[in-house]
Amino acid sequence: MSETHNILDVENINVSYGHLQVVWDVSFSVGKSKVVALLGLNGAGKTTILKTIAGLIRPQSGSVGFLGQDITKLPTHMLAERGLSFISEERNLFISMTVEENLTLGAYSVKRKDKIHENLRAVYDLFPRLKERSKQLAGTMSGGERQMLAIARGLMSNPRMIMLDEPSMGLSPQNVRVVFETIKMLREQGVTTLIVEQNVNTTLEFADRAYVIDQGRVVMEGTSSEVRADNRIRKLYLGEE
Amino acid sequence: MDNIIYAVIISVIRGGFYSLMAVGLSLVFGVMNIANFAHGEFYMLGAYFAYCGSVVFRLNPFLSILFAGAAVFVIGVGVEKAVFVPLRVRSKKNWLMNTFLLTLGISIIMQNLVRVVVGNRNYGLRRGYFQGNMQIFGMGISNDRIICFLISMAAIVGLMLFLNRTRLGRAIRAVSQDATGAQLVGINLGFIYSFTFGLSCALAAIAGACLLFKDPATPIVGLAPLYKSWFVLILVGMGNVGASIIGGIIVGFLETLAVDWLGSGWMDVMSLGIIMLMLIIKPNGLFGKKGVKSAVE
Repeated sequence: MSETHNILDVENINVSYGHLQVVWDVSFSVGKSKVVALLGLNGAGKTTILKTIAGLIRPQSGSVGFLGQDITKLPTHMLAERGLSFISEERNLFISMTVEENLTLGAYSVKRKDKIHENLRAVYDLFPRLKERSKQLAGTMSGGERQMLAIARGLMSNPRMIMLDEPSMGLSPQNVRVVFETIKMLREQGVTTLIVEQNVNTTLEFADRAYVIDQGRVVMEGTSSEVRADNRIRKLYLGEE
Repeated sequence: MDNIIYAVIISVIRGGFYSLMAVGLSLVFGVMNIANFAHGEFYMLGAYFAYCGSVVFRLNPFLSILFAGAAVFVIGVGVEKAVFVPLRVRSKKNWLMNTFLLTLGISIIMQNLVRVVVGNRNYGLRRGYFQGNMQIFGMGISNDRIICFLISMAAIVGLMLFLNRTRLGRAIRAVSQDATGAQLVGINLGFIYSFTFGLSCALAAIAGACLLFKDPATPIVGLAPLYKSWFVLILVGMGNVGASIIGGIIVGFLETLAVDWLGSGWMDVMSLGIIMLMLIIKPNGLFGKKGVKSAVE
């Protein structure tokens, strides 16, 4: 946990659901202002890894370090304050609340009111669509709008790092573009991203590094171009022969 | 005509207290998914504390009622920490059934504990909180009835404002809608659960304290209000706080109708008959949504 240049250090985590172990000895790290992708087929254990980092699941062994501090046993609700934001695959929106209420709650860990307003303006600038819909109930929005709202809510707490689980799932190609452009822009602002994606091509286009997970183990790691060049990866995930 | 107006006023007053009970029950169901069968016992404690405040400490009625609410809030938080915190750690399956069994146990223990401590004697206010009557549409209604009804309405309005306008209130609604999402934005579930349970108990206590003017505190005084609040929840749908307010008034109307037309012996027959019909025809309740734990909307 001494490498202070890393935002996130995952070391040898093992995670099980009951007797079924789904993550085996996984280690990886995410450097500051980088976009790192976890790739792999369905059921490879990528979501489990993110949930473990977020403290929603406890690992059997191993540790998770964030900004040089051990957060392995930290309760989930403490993470937002520390600067880690998890935008889950389920979105976990507050469906009977308005867009604006969702966003305000996203800044629950921010104590200063003026800062909350500033963040609200910033995410509205980022997603003008949400501003148009600010009084609409989250549960009545389309899939793409919900995903935007989930990301926007995750940004309301001034995160140092965001973890995105399948952000492009269910989105139109145009909205997928918006999501990835947002990630790129966040990186320019110094926000680090850890992303889990099925959309391998686009992800590798934007990511700096990628880890390929297969059956709960890291089977390959490297820069995006290294991963893209790997024959096995091309076959498995890019559908090329 | 006069009879109708009188019936309406009596129904609304009667129903208002049911609403206050049901709102707390609904809140705890919506946020924590607890089927609380000890809700009546917090009503009972509220009645005892209000007696204590009013007769022993000689506080004015408003302060006595407030004192009852505050004291039972603390007890509620204690019960949550002592009972539901360990249950959450240990029980994943059959959570709802476990909460039912557990709260039933709490109810029996609390009734008998109170019996041991203060005995079976009735503790009532000999002359109510407020003397005198008020003339409404030419009908005399006791000040007690009217002022205590207004206090319970104020408690409900206060609760709604709290849930909708404050940071903590929003957090409670957030937990009821998506507990994981709430954790991710930084809401401490444990704190919200304890606070919500305490709040629900305080609301029941305020109802018990308000009605002390006519129902003296006894170890089992909470049973009837418990049943009534469950009628309301089954009628309007579980865990919907807003609908519980309307539901309380509806049950008040049904009972007044039954009393006026059929005789007071038919009061519970009416409510129970309608509950049975609801369970057969529309088990999700009048305002309930299928498969949605819709909670505090």
